[in-house]
Amino acid sequence: MSQRTRLFRHTRPYDTDGTRELFVQAVRENVLHHDAHCEGYHRMLAACGFSPRSLQTESDLERLPPLPTLLFKHHRLISRPEHRIVLEATSSGTKGSFSRIAFDLGSLACGTPMVLHTAAHRRLLSPRPVNYIILGYKPHRGNRMAVARTAFGSTFLAPALHRSYALQYRDGGYVPDLEHVLAHLTAYSRLPFPVRFMGFPSYTYFLLRRMEERGVRLMLPKHSKIMLGGGWKEFYTQQVDKPVLYEMIRRLLGVEESHVIEFFGAVEHPILYCDCPYHHFHIPIYSRVLIRDVHTLEALPPGQPGLVNLITPLMTAVPVTSILTDDLGILHEEPCPCGIRSPYLELLGRVGLQDIRTCAAGAAQLLGGEGGLT
Amino acid sequence: MILANGAVYDTAKQQALLDALPGALTRTLSGPPLPQGTVVEALDRAASLLEAGAYAELLPDVQLQGAVSLAARMLHREAVTYRLQTELPPLDAQVLPEGFTPHRRVYRPLGVLLHIAAGNMDVLPAYSVMEGLLTGNINLLKLPQADTGLTIRFFEAFLELAPELRDYIYVFDTPSTDLPAMQHLISVSDGIAVWGSDAAVSAVRQLAPPGCRLIEWGHKLGFCYISGYEDRTLELSQLAAHIAATQQLLCSSCQVIYLDTQDMVEVYDFCKAFLPVLDAACAGIRQSPGAAAQSTLRRYTAFLEHTMAPEREEPSVYRGRCSSLTACEDASLTLSGLYGNCLVKRLPSKDIVPVLRQTSRYLQTAGLICEASRRRALTESLLQSGVTRVMHAGDMSDTYLGEAHDGEYALRRYVRICDIS
Repeated sequence: MSQRTRLFRHTRPYDTDGTRELFVQAVRENVLHHDAHCEGYHRMLAACGFSPRSLQTESDLERLPPLPTLLFKHHRLISRPEHRIVLEATSSGTKGSFSRIAFDLGSLACGTPMVLHTAAHRRLLSPRPVNYIILGYKPHRGNRMAVARTAFGSTFLAPALHRSYALQYRDGGYVPDLEHVLAHLTAYSRLPFPVRFMGFPSYTYFLLRRMEERGVRLMLPKHSKIMLGGGWKEFYTQQVDKPVLYEMIRRLLGVEESHVIEFFGAVEHPILYCDCPYHHFHIPIYSRVLIRDVHTLEALPPGQPGLVNLITPLMTAVPVTSILTDDLGILHEEPCPCGIRSPYLELLGRVGLQDIRTCAAGAAQLLGGEGGLT
Repeated sequence: MILANGAVYDTAKQQALLDALPGALTRTLSGPPLPQGTVVEALDRAASLLEAGAYAELLPDVQLQGAVSLAARMLHREAVTYRLQTELPPLDAQVLPEGFTPHRRVYRPLGVLLHIAAGNMDVLPAYSVMEGLLTGNINLLKLPQADTGLTIRFFEAFLELAPELRDYIYVFDTPSTDLPAMQHLISVSDGIAVWGSDAAVSAVRQLAPPGCRLIEWGHKLGFCYISGYEDRTLELSQLAAHIAATQQLLCSSCQVIYLDTQDMVEVYDFCKAFLPVLDAACAGIRQSPGAAAQSTLRRYTAFLEHTMAPEREEPSVYRGRCSSLTACEDASLTLSGLYGNCLVKRLPSKDIVPVLRQTSRYLQTAGLICEASRRRALTESLLQSGVTRVMHAGDMSDTYLGEAHDGEYALRRYVRICDIS
């Protein structure tokens, strides 16, 4: 059994101490694989003076050259023959370029236990049937966005009675239809089954605002959960603080903050990060997060802000072992009352979005900051 | 927030305000024309107050204060009068040749001018409306998404100074994606001044009906052309200072440095020699962590891309600590990596026109570094290619009173010339 399979089958997703050596071995195995099967990756490692065999301990991880997510928007790097690629997912960049990331069967097979272990830890697996409100895309043949697939996938954590989608596919494009969702939600609230929300925090907020304007207040059945993921995207200027959102959810849906769960992930780093009851994104055993200096890209000690570098040995079809996102973040090592001992990542926001002030032709699109952590 | 007839409303009132708009516009247009003196007087008062720091609490950002102080200088009576005389000179000044019947010609506003502002400068939306007011138009301003509320607060304060202008300024925070609202605003407008990217301009082109005057202030690409030096050390340090100061984010910022040569070796030599100069200039600029991260990411990505396929004729990347130069084989005018990451290309002077013509719609500013004896001829070649500003490298992004905007006088685009027999 490969080191990767052993790591992803480990049943305790936050047992960092018990899997430290296994993680490094799995990364080494993964980097050796990409180095041997992807010419472009091999050249990059060589140009940076990095030898995969030199990867021995966890502290060696910071020497592994991270590939910027930007690189995957312009180059298709592959470490598997085409016939072994079973799925391609894309980032949700709608205006400009987006990353296309290929999955082979091995990566999918490892991803599944990871999702189940993480979901079980947060008590999201349930045999009780639920009604789903998807504040995201309704699946469509042409939609390869990872965020759409994740949302759909999440509806299997508990058996689905019905799914209602906020973004409907009509006439070749997606249009928001909150009325449709609100009608379903009102009907669901009168049934004895729990309701689960899954989707973009922006549309969740827009739905809550509409309810507030109309004076609609519901009391969702016991065990209902609000799951948020996918970031604010183009609505970043309307972004509200998390406590405001939690308060609205409690007031308008009758769901307590401890039942609001947030996820993030990136198409280039398909690890499921799920927040703890204190809304901290703890780093699971399947990955490591390094924060790098915004000038020198050197790894920074915990507590300092910088560029987020994500490392995982999950993927064998694309050399995304270590990726450099265009997000800024801080890694916290303070103890968390939830009991999980691994550090947690605080995302500070996408690089540049707030900074962009440009009238150079094409620059706004270039700096649009699409993709990255969602 | 929405500003209409001097009052501020919540965005939720948008539909009601849009419904009332055609009637309100017709009433204003049926009344007496807006006297230019009233506008000049109001702008002069606003400029004095701006300079005296009356709106300082609206402007937390030091950089923004710099932009505002420049805008204030441009709004003073003397500056505005100079602009009006330059851009809208008297129409009956010339004596007609014999045999032609004289008749009167006058300027009149287009009527209702919709400004679709871009978010690249905080003061831009307000400045665009000022130009509309000067030409007597009723102004509907659609704010960029990035607007922080500054523009409405400014106009609220401005209309306290000049309440007689309240029916001439409407500000909407409608997002561009709200197509019915956008179409409504466009349907009541006689002209649209659109600022922004190709995508923004194309979207407005699709929405605007035939006959509606479109005034496009699109994004541009600046470059520097080098053919010898008068004072090499000084001129290169001025160019580096310009690149560092503007972070290559402006229309007029240098994206590409063209060298008057066919020889790639000269390009590589230039990169090696100029990199320390550029790096020193960029090191002195205080960047936000976001901008620094952008710059570092671009530079690192370009470096990795270069290493990935060395056998191809890929550009060579010269990486400094906070800047980079990329030696490219091609000559096309393209966007650089920004934030101190500049492109260097070959462009023999005989090829200036054929090469630059290919991107003529993006041309605006050229910084020219050359021997004094060649300056006139090279300037002419650059102008022939479609460039509208030929500057010294250090002042590529400077603003001058009375200068044209992308080859045009803006005020002229906002008026009609009317003949009266």
